Amino acid sequence: MKRYAYYLSCINESMTKEVDCSIELWQKDLGIEFVKLHEGTCCGGSNLDYVSPKHFALVNGRNIALAEKMGLDLIVSCNTCLMTMRSAKKKLDETPELKKEVNEILKKEGLEYRGTSEVRHILWVLVDDVGLDTIRKKVKVPLKNYRIAPFYGCHILRPSTVLGHDNPVNPSSLDQLVEALGGQTIPFKHKNRCCGFHTLLVAEQESLNVAAEALQEAIQAKADFIVTPCPLCHTSLDGYQSKALKQAGEASSIPVFHISEMVGLALGYSAKQLGIKRHIVS
Amino acid sequence: MKPYDIVIVGGGGAGLYAAMEAMKTNPSLNIAVLSKVYPNRSHTSAAQGGANAALGNKAKDDTVEMHIFDTIKGSDYLADQDAVDLLCSEAPKIIRELENMGTPWSRMEDNTIAQRPFGGAGRPRCCYCSDKTGHTILQTLYEQCLKKGVIFFNEYFALNLSVKGSRSRGLIAMNMKTGNVEAFSARTVILATGGYAKMYWNRSSNAAGNTGDGQAIAYRAGIPMKDMEFVQFHPTGLRKSGLLVTEGARGEGGYLINRNGERFMARYAKEKMELGPRDLVSRSLETEILEGRGFDSPAGKYLHLDLTHLGADLIKSRLPQIREMCMQFEGVDPIDEPIPVRPTAHYSMGGIDTDNFTRTIMEGVYAAGECACVSVHGANRLGGNSLLDILVFGRIAGHTAAEEAGKFEPGNISEAELKEHVEELRGGMHASGHHERYGELREELGQTLALNVGIFREASLLKRGIQDIAELKDRFKKVRVSDSSDVFNTNLMQVLELKNMLDLAETVAAGASAREESRGSHTRIDFPVRDDAKWHKHTLATQAKGKVVLGEKPVTMGRYELQERTY
Amino acid sequence: MTAPTDQHIEGTKDVTFRIFRFNPQVDSKPYFDDYTIPVERGVTVLRSLNYIKEHIDASISFRAFCQAGICGSCGMRVNGLSQLACTTQVWDVLAKSRESGIIKVEPLRNLPLIKDLIVDMDPLVDKMKHYSNWIDSTMPESSMGKKEFLISEAEFLRYDKATDCILCASCVSECSILRANKEYVSPAVLLKSYRMNVDSRDAIHGKRLAELVKDHGVWDCTHCYRCQESCVKSIPIMDAIHGIREDAIELRGMKDTSGSKHAEAFMSDIEKKGKLVEATLPIRTNGIVWTLQNLLPMAVKMIMKRRTPPPPPLVKSAKGIKIFREMFREMTEHVRQDHKSQKK
Repeated sequence: MKRYAYYLSCINESMTKEVDCSIELWQKDLGIEFVKLHEGTCCGGSNLDYVSPKHFALVNGRNIALAEKMGLDLIVSCNTCLMTMRSAKKKLDETPELKKEVNEILKKEGLEYRGTSEVRHILWVLVDDVGLDTIRKKVKVPLKNYRIAPFYGCHILRPSTVLGHDNPVNPSSLDQLVEALGGQTIPFKHKNRCCGFHTLLVAEQESLNVAAEALQEAIQAKADFIVTPCPLCHTSLDGYQSKALKQAGEASSIPVFHISEMVGLALGYSAKQLGIKRHIVS
Repeated sequence: MKPYDIVIVGGGGAGLYAAMEAMKTNPSLNIAVLSKVYPNRSHTSAAQGGANAALGNKAKDDTVEMHIFDTIKGSDYLADQDAVDLLCSEAPKIIRELENMGTPWSRMEDNTIAQRPFGGAGRPRCCYCSDKTGHTILQTLYEQCLKKGVIFFNEYFALNLSVKGSRSRGLIAMNMKTGNVEAFSARTVILATGGYAKMYWNRSSNAAGNTGDGQAIAYRAGIPMKDMEFVQFHPTGLRKSGLLVTEGARGEGGYLINRNGERFMARYAKEKMELGPRDLVSRSLETEILEGRGFDSPAGKYLHLDLTHLGADLIKSRLPQIREMCMQFEGVDPIDEPIPVRPTAHYSMGGIDTDNFTRTIMEGVYAAGECACVSVHGANRLGGNSLLDILVFGRIAGHTAAEEAGKFEPGNISEAELKEHVEELRGGMHASGHHERYGELREELGQTLALNVGIFREASLLKRGIQDIAELKDRFKKVRVSDSSDVFNTNLMQVLELKNMLDLAETVAAGASAREESRGSHTRIDFPVRDDAKWHKHTLATQAKGKVVLGEKPVTMGRYELQERTY
Repeated sequence: MTAPTDQHIEGTKDVTFRIFRFNPQVDSKPYFDDYTIPVERGVTVLRSLNYIKEHIDASISFRAFCQAGICGSCGMRVNGLSQLACTTQVWDVLAKSRESGIIKVEPLRNLPLIKDLIVDMDPLVDKMKHYSNWIDSTMPESSMGKKEFLISEAEFLRYDKATDCILCASCVSECSILRANKEYVSPAVLLKSYRMNVDSRDAIHGKRLAELVKDHGVWDCTHCYRCQESCVKSIPIMDAIHGIREDAIELRGMKDTSGSKHAEAFMSDIEKKGKLVEATLPIRTNGIVWTLQNLLPMAVKMIMKRRTPPPPPLVKSAKGIKIFREMFREMTEHVRQDHKSQKK
């Protein structure tokens, strides 16, 4: 059983609780164990880094140091948490003075940031560590009749200097996961585009436009659902879907799943168990 | 339309500085800048090295006087000494002025503008911003022009001066976005359109648009061209694109190799080898090719610049930009294989004949920058002096035109005249009888120039070159423009650029043929030495009845007597 | 040294360029034309376009000037990605093409189309003017040319990378927000604004910032990083955007915009709870009235679906929050000291 430290994303604690519920359900089936990092704090959601770069380094240096103390890699299920903590890590690793300053403070809690733990996305763990073959073997309910639009979102791809797992122009890991679960991906131009989440509260119309474009492509391509590795994309595409599509004059709708739910479904868990009824669009 | 006080043609360093200075001199003037590209695209951006000025930041003992001497010596004593005086003494002021306006110069440890050594200069006086000096200067000037509210007519292609008697009434230009031919009646016109070295086409490092438009316009209006035969070649241009592989590659230990695998520079510069002076290395490469020791390819003969022995680490750490450029433009990684190179034309010393105030012989017409020939570069330009030239004389042009605009009655271009220009412009070019392909003519022009009016010149070659150009001009009469649309007709524009190059090519060949000596960039196999008695003078080429007429003009001397140019 | 060879042997491949065509004088809508030509290794997309224009169809219209990657004229989309045609190797693109042997060439997005591959750059220039993308020098014009400002290498490095920008508009073409609203300031203009703002010679930081924090300005960016990813000069554009935001909040106290309130909410939530209180973010960002008007129906739906806890929001603090808070505040003290020494 391979163990990982699991970072609790704020959004999964309030709005998208089903993500962590789903992971909880199937982790052992795939021979992995996520140890929840209850002491972890908010990563700053791609905002703290400019509001206060030093707090950003402290907060995320600490988050990673907590995982390091356990000797485990830090796994996240949110794109923005992934990007944020990886860029903090990069900055700390590249700037010895900053690392020193952060560690001076972390001493108080008996922590030290050393740079030994990786920050990785749960999608990468599934594809690279568990492996597609294992996943294929574990599938109980193949998603074989589904046409699925894979929506990667931004912060699992860009900036590629920080992420570096998939080719940001033509990513493939999510497509591979869908196919391993027996589903069929559709060609989806918006796969590496933006969901608009980060400006929802600042430039709402623009955000909804951005979301609507992706939704409409999936609807027009007759996809059965959209799947995303990010709860923020999920919120934008599901929670705000009716508003976005109304603004775009679109009458249809389309369900959106987080990968954790899609994996759960294929491994034989029910929609109820997975908390899918919490979705706005059904 | 209300006539302009000043119409500036060209939005590079010279044109933008002129616009800014003119507005500063007299804010009430009505000024317009026409440019065939957005000004920030201009070729000024391609100058990497820097601009010379005796600031004394790096070498405390540097002086304006030393800068003057280096420039005159570099020019092979063909530069006018009073003009060089002006160039070099204005230099510190203009560099500081740019700095004060926001140019991001690299810095010395004491926070002053950084300076570095450059070829032919006795002291490190080249001010720079990394390897993007021209780019950042152009950005600064464009930004300042936007700040001042300069009126731009972007993507306007200048066609002709409107001339009445001894003076101009303004300019005729085509709006590329609409295809409309428009009149710009004006009291004064400043031509600042850059150089003409693109006439060597694929054998040139210049931007596609450096087709000598301003010079051709002036030439057709009867204004003389000065010293057109002087064209500078760089030894190592990429075979396919002509883009420069800078001296850094040889500085780090690159070898020049011929098809026999020889480091052939041993034949020409035993001690300095690959690091000999630029013109000597260029001539050596050309000799190897002429004597059959070059490699062959569909894109022409070439030699190898081999860096493979330097190793991946050194190439990656010391020459990353050169490596990137070779991969992007030639598809060759210099870590794995040699770079295919050959000499390439990259700067034109000659241009519109002006006085030190940028005035031409035509009242109300001024010229500045590579477009003009004051002359400060003479037979050979020093590195770091071209940016300086466009800044100093662009500024002077703006100032002079602003001061003198009041002297001239506003021009008034009539509808009838405009119609004539439109007729001349498009008449027949779309007709079915027109079958000549402009791409082919352009290619052939570049070939004959490189071969016969290139690095090595000789009477019989030049004769052939002149013949070829005449034939091409003849064929051009039947050139075809197959795009008949009005909106952004780049086909038509390229044909008109070709016309400009053909007109000017004649003057280059004529000057080269007349000048029976070797001086600076002009090398005659049949007259291998400098002949001061006969040729210490400028050539002037004027168009009369469609033919080149050559005249001459004395060189203005000063403190420095003629000496042999050795380094 | 390499073994002597007589000829550089290079293979060729037949490549079909599928080129976007539109002539406003005759076409009611755009279409694609296919041109198949042999392309040898080392040839760029621009050289191929030149070849097609010279040999097959002279009416294809595109901009090109320096052909050396410095003037920024030939920005276009090659297989969907905005880049410079002159620095893009055909064989490299081919290796990644989804349709074998075919390269699709289209104009940049988010700028008005003029003809074929040519778009109108004027909107970008207008924005550069609107956001004062120039240095307004602290030195009066009459004193210029006499002496240099003394600028440290450290300051030069702050804007060095940003001055690499050649305004090719690849970032403009890739921007998610511009796609949704053409009024948006644009990444390139934000980059230039940042470059001016960190230059100590400039006198109008405040005025420029005041404009940047308004609607369609710096707060509308959605952090998608597409601009940075497509930058042909590899400029970290997002760092510049973040730099403007940091400057607006921290140094100039421009906190009265929804964007800055939204951003600052992160800071205060983390300090208080170690967690973000998502449910009240809308209220804190845009106020209660806006939230009721805009989000009430959705909020009700969300509460019904149990997507967010019913008010008042119950967010559990992170474990060990007390010591965390202490550390957080210690860092606040560090930052305060930094600012003090910066002002000196």
